[in-house]
Amino acid sequence: MTVARFVFDAAAAVAVLFGGLMVVTRNSVRSVLTLVVAFFALAVTYVMLLSPFIAAIQVIVYAGAILVLFLFVLMLLNIGHIPAERSGPLQTLLGSLGVVLFAALLLGTLRGAGASIPAPTGETPQVLSDPASLSRELFSKYLLHFEAVSVLLLAALVGAFVLARREKQP
Amino acid sequence: MIGSIPLSDVLLASGALFSIGIAGVLLRRNAIQIFLSIELMMNAANLALLGYGAAMGTHEGQIIVFFVIAIAAAEASVGLAIFVALFRHTETIDVNKIRLLKW
Repeated sequence: MTVARFVFDAAAAVAVLFGGLMVVTRNSVRSVLTLVVAFFALAVTYVMLLSPFIAAIQVIVYAGAILVLFLFVLMLLNIGHIPAERSGPLQTLLGSLGVVLFAALLLGTLRGAGASIPAPTGETPQVLSDPASLSRELFSKYLLHFEAVSVLLLAALVGAFVLARREKQP
Repeated sequence: MIGSIPLSDVLLASGALFSIGIAGVLLRRNAIQIFLSIELMMNAANLALLGYGAAMGTHEGQIIVFFVIAIAAAEASVGLAIFVALFRHTETIDVNKIRLLKW
């Protein structure tokens, strides 16, 4: 086992472990903080998959902005300490059954899927992990999509403002 | 293979993370944890996309993940705004008690 593979597997194992902790814990704030650790570990796996730019975005936008937004909401509404009630027996039974069936189906499908990919014929690893060549493609071939996303973000900004503000008292 | 990492390792990790996300959505009643589980599932899909992109030697995987992260930011802001409005109305984070749409 080479160093690259070991680092990838270790980071993926940390991500799976902390993802599991996120689901198991009952405290909402602790749940967000464990997910931050899982996303940092995922950023390490992204670096190993020749995507250092996406790894930086993952740390800055996901761990830095989105999860901090969750923490802000939890603490502004002061709901971090309210535990939701335990799931009923019917939900636990049916939910567990669904999870086991889904996981078996998904992992069974993915098991043979990697073999059908041919050997890399495209860019070399140096070009692939270079942010400059990535952005050249992003701002030429995918420029329209990029602009559409900027409009979507504006719409989300306005929508979030309208949804979250208090109604005026009549 | 990406360098010395086999694609099957990437897909296994991605499948495991997605299954954990499914478990969180199906087994929890805390609205915040369900939301976080959805974010985790999105990241599992991103991992698979990056794995395939790197294995095939194209930039497309990274570009799709870039757009997914941008859309996830929009989704998180609107989702949390809905959550804030809902909490003001119902004073609970238990999804079984939020039944405004249930006759």
